[in-house]
Formats: sequence, structure tokens, C-alpha cells
Amino acid sequence: MELNWSVIPEYFWFLMAGALLTVLIAAISIALGFAGGILIGMGRISNNFFIHGITTCYVEAFRGTPLLIQIFLIFFGLPSVGIYFDPIPAGILALSLNSAAYQAEIFRGGVQSISKGQMEASRAMGMSYNQTLFNVIIPQGLRNALPAYTNEFITMIKDSSLVSIIGVMELTQRGRIVIGYTFQPFVVFIFLAIMYFIMTYTTSRLLRQIEKKKAIPGMIGVE
Amino acid sequence: MVKPIIETVDLMKSFKTKKSKEEHMVLKGISIKIMPQNVVVIIGPSGSGKSTLLRCLNRLNEPTAGKIFFEGYDITDPGVDINLIRAQMTMVFQSFNLFMHLTARKNVSLALRKVKKMSREDADRRAMEALRKVGLEDKADAYPGQLSGGQQQRVAIARTLAMEPKVILFDEPTSALDPELIGEVLDVMKRLASEGMTMVVVTHEMGFAREMADWVFFMDDGLIVEQGPPEEIFVRPKSERTRIFLKRVLSEVEALDPLKPKYDVPALP
Repeated sequence: MELNWSVIPEYFWFLMAGALLTVLIAAISIALGFAGGILIGMGRISNNFFIHGITTCYVEAFRGTPLLIQIFLIFFGLPSVGIYFDPIPAGILALSLNSAAYQAEIFRGGVQSISKGQMEASRAMGMSYNQTLFNVIIPQGLRNALPAYTNEFITMIKDSSLVSIIGVMELTQRGRIVIGYTFQPFVVFIFLAIMYFIMTYTTSRLLRQIEKKKAIPGMIGVE
Repeated sequence: MVKPIIETVDLMKSFKTKKSKEEHMVLKGISIKIMPQNVVVIIGPSGSGKSTLLRCLNRLNEPTAGKIFFEGYDITDPGVDINLIRAQMTMVFQSFNLFMHLTARKNVSLALRKVKKMSREDADRRAMEALRKVGLEDKADAYPGQLSGGQQQRVAIARTLAMEPKVILFDEPTSALDPELIGEVLDVMKRLASEGMTMVVVTHEMGFAREMADWVFFMDDGLIVEQGPPEEIFVRPKSERTRIFLKRVLSEVEALDPLKPKYDVPALP
């Protein structure tokens, strides 16, 4: 079968609409996962036995099971207990819950990379635990965690293609529809791959810029 | 009659070791009085509990038993807002512990804004004054990673000074410094002392102790073995343990640096 590259211009805007939805779904899921990750991550470093236990179970559950199964559970499983989601909210929910588990661990790693002396110095001047956490520990911890966050954000963009399975009309799903019309899987999948790469590469460059801008003068690897 | 600014009564501290469940007693009943405007130096061998005692005073380490009075108030009482006490009894650490992501000025002004609720402008102005006192006005916009150890420790002192504390606790403030940087930190401390700041200093700098201390505590094995003015402790130590410690420390100092002035080593009988 001949490779027919003209299907790309022909279905360009149809596919781009999918790309836009992919960007939206990934961005919302990353943002929700980030906020959730901080909350769960704070639970993971809590001394409270109960809070620590619950958040640890959460992380293990969502990290230890396939994202695809989580998507199926939310979209196909929850209706049997009377909870219904449209495909897009179901997809975003699954991605966010999953990412929150990973981002919680990234956040915890970042916070725990900060020496105990920082906490002590701050507390010794009369600042409360929370004041110290938000003004001293987290600003430094997030900086240290930025490379790991970049990994996670890129993974989220790529994994968002999984929600095509439940019929969300994002990039991958639209690509499969185009293949159905044109019988050009090689051409279309190459195009999809390039589109995903553009998204992930942009993300990684963007975060690298933030890393550079937020770098602390006088630390290793900072000009 | 002047009342002590800090007083401990039978203070004890034990740590649980993780492996065995037995308790390790670090402080075995410390009762001391610290008078206002005094420079009090705590000396003693490593592991004698000096730092633990200091860190119990502001409850950075929670005492296991005993009482601590600050200006007559029992601060071991669970109802006490320890943050209010700590703002008046600040601490300088061996490893500086400057906030690495903040400039020198912001290091100093952070607690002013968060604890004293000062405006950004007022806090920055007060921070600059404090930095001027330690001679680092020109480094206000430098980050800790860009400063030498001695400069970092001076910023750390400015950070505590800006809080206008009633007492400053110094936990081996020069132990992490290169020998040539110790002087600048000691100079700042001497000036504070001469301005009447109440200081509690854990140190191995016997020269500083001799010169600046109003009162010296010698600790060993979790207890205060001997206390008194430096002339007595350094020249006529009563306890055998104090004598052995001083002899070892002072001879070590001399061995390290032949250019340093020789100290009078108390003779062993």
C-alpha cells in the first residue's frame, strides 16, 4: 500500500482539534495532580499516624495499578454503583488521581531533600511549623524537585492518549478515526508521534527555563 | 537583687535509640542560672551534653523532665506559646543554617515579617541595620551560597540580632569554620557581649571563653561538674575532670597553631 502523505493536510484541522483537547486534558490533569500531590505529599511527611497511613495507601494504590484500569474503573465501573461521568471528566479524573500519587512522592522527595537545619533555624526564631513549611522548606523543595516534575508532566501528556479508549475525542482517538477513513496507519501515527513530541519537548524546554530562572545563585550547577 | 533571665531546675533529657528500646540519658539533671547581660560559656568534652542543654533551653529538643524558667515564666508548661519565647531567645547554629533560597537581607527580614508582623519596608530596613552591625551591608543581596563560612555565620548572627532578642544562644558558632575565618565571627560576638547582650555560648574556643565569659560551666557526662568565673575555672579548676579536659584541649590548641599565644595550662598535681 502506498504511503499517502496528503491525508495530513486533508485532516489537519480535524487532528488539531484533538491536539487541543489533549493539551487541555493534560494541563488540567497536571494542575489538579500538582495541587493534590502537595496535599497528599504533606500527608506523607505528617507525623499523624492516621493521615500518614491514608496518604500512603493512596499513593501505593494509584501507583501500583495500571492507569488504564483506573480509567476503566471510573468510566465503566462507577456507573454500576450509580456514579456516572462523561468521557472527558472521567478521563481527567483518572489522570489527575493517578498523577497526584506520583506528584505526591515527587513533592515529598523535594521537601525531604532540605536539611533539618533549615527547619530548626526557622523554628528557633519563633516561626511556626506551617510558616516554616511554606516560606522556607517548600520553596526550596520545589526547586529541587523541578527535574522530577518535568518527567511527570511529560509522562502525563503521553499517558493522556489512554483516554482515547473511552471515546474522548483527543489526538489519538481522532488519529484512529482518520486511519479508519484513509487506511494510512503509518502516516497518521507518525504525525501523532510528532505532535506528542512537540508537546512534550515544549514542556521540557519551558520547565528548564523555569528551573534556570528559579535557580539559587551560589548552588551547584548555577552560573 | 538581679533575677536570672534563664533558670533550669533538674533538667533531664533522654533519647530513645531506635534499635534497642533503652533510653540514653544525655542530661542527668541540670540546674543552672543565667544572669541577664552575662556571657555564659559552656565547655566540656564531645558528647557531654552541652549542645543538648542549649537546645533544650529553647525547646528545640524537648526536655524529658525538669523545668526551664525564662524571666520567671515556666516555659516547659504545655500552655506556653513557645514561638513567642523563641523570638526573644534566638539561636546561632554550628552549620549556620541560612535559608539558601533567600538573599542575606531576606534571611534577616523573613522572621521579622512572619513573627513580628512587620511590613516589608520596615523589615528590610531593620535587616539592613542588623547587617551593618555585623559589617555585611554590602552583601545584602548575596545568596548564602555566594558567601564564605565566616560571612554566612555573621549573617546568621544578624538574623537573630534583628529580632532584638533578650538572649542569644550560640551552638558551637565557630566549629564549622576554617581557622582564618573564626576571628571575624568572634569579633562580632565580642562586640555583642560588650554591648550587654545576654549570650549563652557552647564553644571549643577557650580563648574566647577566657576573655569574654562572665561565667563558665564545665559539663561532663550530662552533668555540670564545675562552674565559676573564667579566672577560677581556667586557672584554679577544682575538679580533676576539668583539669584533664583543659589540659588536653589547651595543649591541642597549641599543637595546632604554634603562632597562637600560649595559654597557661593548669598543671596536673
